[in-house]
Amino acid sequence: MSELIPSPKIYDAVIVGSGAGGGVAGYVLTRAGAKCLMLEAGDWYDTAKQSKMMEWTYDAPHRGASHGHTFGYFDAAVGGWQVEGEPYLSAPGQEFRWFRSRMLGGRTNHWGRISLRMGPYDFKPYSRDGKGFDWPITYDDLAPYYDKTEELIGVFGSHEGLENTPDGKFQPAPKPRCYELVIQKACQKLGIPCIPSRLSIITQPLNGRPACHYCGQCGRSCATSSNFSSPTVLLPPALKTGNLEIRCNAMAREVLVDGEGRATGVSYIDKKTRKEVQVRSKVVVLAASACESARLLLNSKSPRHPNGLANSSGLVGKYLMDTVGADGSDGFLPILMDLPPHNCDGVGGMHLYMPWWNYQRQLRRELPFARGYHIEFGGGRGMPGPYSGYGTEKFLGGGYGVELKRGVRKLHGAFVGFSCRGEMIPNEDSYCEIDPTVVDQWGVPVLKFHFKWTQDEILMAKHSREIFEEIILTAGGEVLSRFSADDNWGISKGGEIIHEVGTTRMGDDRRTSVLNPYCQAWDSKTLFVTDGAPFCSNADKNPTLSIMALAWRTSEYIAEQVRKGSV
Amino acid sequence: MANEEAKKPEGALNRRDVLRALTTVPAALVPIGPAVARVAKRQARPPVPQSGTGEYQRQTFDEHEWKTVRLLSDYIIPRDERSGSATEAAVPEFIDDWLALRGGEALAAVRGGLIWLDLESQRAYGRDFVDSPPDQQKQMLDRIAFPKTAAPEDAAGVTFFNHLRDLVVSGFFSSKMGVQDLPYLGNQMLSEWPGCPSEVMEKIRKNEAKRRTA
Repeated sequence: MSELIPSPKIYDAVIVGSGAGGGVAGYVLTRAGAKCLMLEAGDWYDTAKQSKMMEWTYDAPHRGASHGHTFGYFDAAVGGWQVEGEPYLSAPGQEFRWFRSRMLGGRTNHWGRISLRMGPYDFKPYSRDGKGFDWPITYDDLAPYYDKTEELIGVFGSHEGLENTPDGKFQPAPKPRCYELVIQKACQKLGIPCIPSRLSIITQPLNGRPACHYCGQCGRSCATSSNFSSPTVLLPPALKTGNLEIRCNAMAREVLVDGEGRATGVSYIDKKTRKEVQVRSKVVVLAASACESARLLLNSKSPRHPNGLANSSGLVGKYLMDTVGADGSDGFLPILMDLPPHNCDGVGGMHLYMPWWNYQRQLRRELPFARGYHIEFGGGRGMPGPYSGYGTEKFLGGGYGVELKRGVRKLHGAFVGFSCRGEMIPNEDSYCEIDPTVVDQWGVPVLKFHFKWTQDEILMAKHSREIFEEIILTAGGEVLSRFSADDNWGISKGGEIIHEVGTTRMGDDRRTSVLNPYCQAWDSKTLFVTDGAPFCSNADKNPTLSIMALAWRTSEYIAEQVRKGSV
Repeated sequence: MANEEAKKPEGALNRRDVLRALTTVPAALVPIGPAVARVAKRQARPPVPQSGTGEYQRQTFDEHEWKTVRLLSDYIIPRDERSGSATEAAVPEFIDDWLALRGGEALAAVRGGLIWLDLESQRAYGRDFVDSPPDQQKQMLDRIAFPKTAAPEDAAGVTFFNHLRDLVVSGFFSSKMGVQDLPYLGNQMLSEWPGCPSEVMEKIRKNEAKRRTA
């Protein structure tokens, strides 16, 4: 830290982060001719070489179980709930879990690829039910960018025309698995839509990427680039322009400003030398993830910005949201027992899902909570792992010997699990701030989280549990997991669904928002945010596709402003 | 395979590992229990051998425990017409390595259970479990292998045997031999996704009809 390494070059843009938001910014800006420097806090990641795709569990240490890996040995993420030397805190009596992937491409390497567009209602939630905030843009503003994003990354799906569930530019969806057909039939009886899912996994070749080979292992990262990740889809064409330089192991610590308080570059710690480096640019684009971008701004204090950069509204870090999760509603379906062996892998995720179906009932105030959720489910004859044989006595009555061995074979693939993914309404009690008394190993003050669910989210979780039970029972199954008011219906902890958004909200009014309708800081024309932080709400639709569409729109605006010379 | 939710091994559970193993649950289903944080970070060790003939350095069990675990493993998963036994699939090696990794209560439950088994065996037959003749060993196992009919005074033995059965069944069916036995037919590169095969759908319909008439 003692030695300052000056960097004379002035880039058009410095982009902090190489994931969904940073990757899109790099892609759009470099192709518009801008000279960009991308900073990544983690190491380089070569998907083709480092993916653990097609490895057998029995060839892996401890059959691929978790030991220091948050999601097990095979998961592509380098990082997790805890990153060594980079702590975070939660307010007393509260818990927020912050997942970080420290690697090129960030969390796009292991994410679920669920790519759902927000619908028209989702941009104007306050207008609809008086809760939360409206976005300063509409669905129509973002729709062309959803189109472009889907066409670039490749998303499969089907055209359904359902309410507030916009269809996209889809590749053909893969056929359902057997257990998915069984659940779809149960849903039909209950009047719940169960349609092809929408995942950014390609079922047809696209821009030199081969179609999916159906190994079901997207979470390990795809060695053939058949699903979307930033390092395989966004960064190669950006690098090809010759306009992109990527620096890994660069832990951004502060946005630099001039005497007028305008962003002029970024100060980072080179993790290899542990020394500060400053880089200069005309524009600074933050895409470090919602909480990390807020942290950067709050740590960027200057005489013009004593409370942190872009924070004249006092809203940086506020209205932190995650997705409402209710996981682990499992069912045992005897009609799925003793099936002829068959390959059930498919794509790395569900082939069918259930979008929210109660918009009209909510409009009539017939449900005790606002906003919706979609249902994700899984099951089937997956690759056996180190827990695959737990709890057999519950279904086979115990025993041992040849009878047991035969019984276990029959059980393979007879279980289905359901999850709720729902909308959280932003609230005053959920936010992050800097704890000035603690720094991480790079000398950067750390975040302290505050997080609370409200009755809207808890009653949503309850509703989902009841629906899951209905589906399982309608399919002739046995409900294996019970939840109650005592455990808030098993609602997830804040952060646990890894959909954190909303810490630098965009808006029409500089007093009540951090960014303008183009995700440009009200307080600095040269500062933009392209991750999940600009979100005004967090619809049940997983945020990554919307992060990318919004980043695309913002990046086009940046390119235009640079061309006009107005930044 | 059975759902692990029925029984959670203390301090050892990563639900996502489990669901991954059981199913092709989407990666976005990220059901993580607090247990994850408690799992100690350990140095990765090479995979255990895939057959009982390979070299393996024991980490957990002493000689007597090892003998007992090997015997019990083959009682639980014996050789049959389709595949070999638990020891042939190196399941005891898997368990030894697994308990070395997990430690804590999972390890204590197995070691304590082995002592319980010997004490009960001594009381009933005057010998440790491994030294008893096969018919007495089976009588002993029949006391603890069937949770619904077991005597209340054998409850600790039932818990132990459930735990050991979990380990043996998981270890066997996640081994190469077990994967081929099930059989699990995935982990392949396909040029096309066929969907649900018609003969499977047919069997589901039959199962459904049978269920309705029952």
